[in-house]
Amino acid sequence: MEARLRDIREGIDHGRFPAYVFNDQEIFDLEQEKLFGQAWTFLAHESEIPKPGDYVTRYIGNNNLIVARDEHGEIHANLNMCRHRGNMMCKSEMGNASHFRCSYHGWVYKNSGELIGVPYLAEGYEGKLKRKDWGLVKARIDTYEGLVFGTFNEDASSLEDYLGGFQFYLDLYLKQGPNGSEVHGPPDHWITETDWKIAAENFAGDGYHTPVAHQFGFNLGYFPSSGATHSQGWAASIPGKGHGIGLGHTPGFTPFAGFPDALTAEIKKSLTPDQVEVFSNTRTAVGTVFPNLSFLMQPFSLIPGETGVRFVTMRLYHPIGPGKCEMYSWCLVPKDASDEYKEAAYQAYTLTFAQAGTFEQDDLENWARLTRMAKSSAAKGIEFPYLMGMETERDEDFRGPGHVVKPYVNDSNFRNLWGRWADYLLGEA
Amino acid sequence: MTALSTVDRAIQEDIKEFIAREALAVDERRFRDWLDFLAEDITYDVPLRVVREGLAEWELSPTGRIFQDNKQTLEVRVRRLETDFAWAEQPPSRTRHYVTNVLIDDSEKTGEYEVTSYCLIYRSRGDSIEPNFVSVFRKDLVRRVGDSYQIARRWAAIDQAIINAHNLSIFI
Ligand code: FES
Ligand SMILES: [Fe+2]
Repeated sequence: MEARLRDIREGIDHGRFPAYVFNDQEIFDLEQEKLFGQAWTFLAHESEIPKPGDYVTRYIGNNNLIVARDEHGEIHANLNMCRHRGNMMCKSEMGNASHFRCSYHGWVYKNSGELIGVPYLAEGYEGKLKRKDWGLVKARIDTYEGLVFGTFNEDASSLEDYLGGFQFYLDLYLKQGPNGSEVHGPPDHWITETDWKIAAENFAGDGYHTPVAHQFGFNLGYFPSSGATHSQGWAASIPGKGHGIGLGHTPGFTPFAGFPDALTAEIKKSLTPDQVEVFSNTRTAVGTVFPNLSFLMQPFSLIPGETGVRFVTMRLYHPIGPGKCEMYSWCLVPKDASDEYKEAAYQAYTLTFAQAGTFEQDDLENWARLTRMAKSSAAKGIEFPYLMGMETERDEDFRGPGHVVKPYVNDSNFRNLWGRWADYLLGEA
Repeated sequence: MTALSTVDRAIQEDIKEFIAREALAVDERRFRDWLDFLAEDITYDVPLRVVREGLAEWELSPTGRIFQDNKQTLEVRVRRLETDFAWAEQPPSRTRHYVTNVLIDDSEKTGEYEVTSYCLIYRSRGDSIEPNFVSVFRKDLVRRVGDSYQIARRWAAIDQAIINAHNLSIFI
């Protein structure tokens, strides 16, 4: 395996990547241990648990956690596993509770994870069990602009370091006004025969697929541009960190089109001049926080030819087996926007990128078939070309950080993503 | 409250037939015909279901939707299916809407009826031997229009919290 991984790592630098990694048990197992066991992964948006006692259950790798806000407003992420014999503590995906009581022998924990109740403590344990030693297993957490990330890796560097400058781009989705963004309702989630990595790559800036995979949109007149002009813009990635974003650009685009004017003014105030410069002409922004959290923002109209309303979707690809993942998809809205705008943005989201969304449908169809083909025995020896833009120099005029190249149709973000992925698997991240 | 509907039996029979013909239009992929079964002011909603404790105040999200459509957006979906580029339905899903337990009651308005039904949607894709099953509870508002009917509201709750289908490129 080590030799194979070395090969993969070397291939990436030369613009080659093997097909089989998208549906392979050994790779999946290794990812669980070396990647999801080490990296920071997304757990929840703070607005999902606004009040003391609010909780959601989420995953780090294959570990189910309770992410809860305690009575003092602090957020904790604890393994959802009773320390007595390991029963699952909380069986709902969200709710409000000050305590969790295990349904097997009745141990009781605070929502912060502290063990506070043990039946027959004095009689049964004869003073040998100290409650403070048997609290729920804690994950480290850290946040950025409402995003809560967690890891079980004590040695992981800070989240700030992990994001490594990608915050500049994340602000487009998260600083939508002075009070930021919030979720509009709970996430959609559904099971799909898609490898999480395919979705992560696509959202790291695959402008190349849009004119074909989503051709219906051009066909019905939903985009004011043709396929050729649609794919202009920049691909930005943070070298060595794996994060990447595609910033689609259409000539003649109205700055910040799709936001109500009052909101645009607020957004501009929340961003730096460099961010305003970079984002004002961005039509579509599609990015991935390594490994498996993605965002997309674009305007969409119910009426062909009109600019429409700008919406943001955030998604998490939770791996549940080789070639299989559970999709989580949220719609983020600006916290201070009018209810009318929030509703309109949510409607645009459901029509395009929720599980019945017209764009989502076609992506998933492609990804499921790709995943299936990756399992075939012939796929073992097949590599894909990641050669686009190998020679492209950084656009020095661009005012955002990272390795930024033109055009947006470019594999540089993907080479960076796979390099980081391979580094984790090799234990060298 | 009586256990039986006060709606005239003949009207009930007509509405049941109407609902069955609507299902047939969808399953035969006559989507333009299907749109004619829907009123201009239709609201078409499928809320998100969330796994909650028994005492939680809601299980179907008050804000989250899988479908949140009106006639205009349903038309967008149908127009999309009419292009050659609706890849999710290339080749098309084979669906069968099994509609049962149809109950018809008067609504607050004359000529409009509250129609509840169970609907099991069987969906087969390509060469897959594993079909998707989507079991839903539907609450329709059916309106008398001339000598036929139209659906003025469809609200459907999917029984499964996590959908085991890679997309929902079908109609409920
Ligand atoms: S397993 Fe939880 S109390 Fe025994
Ligand atoms: Fe796509």
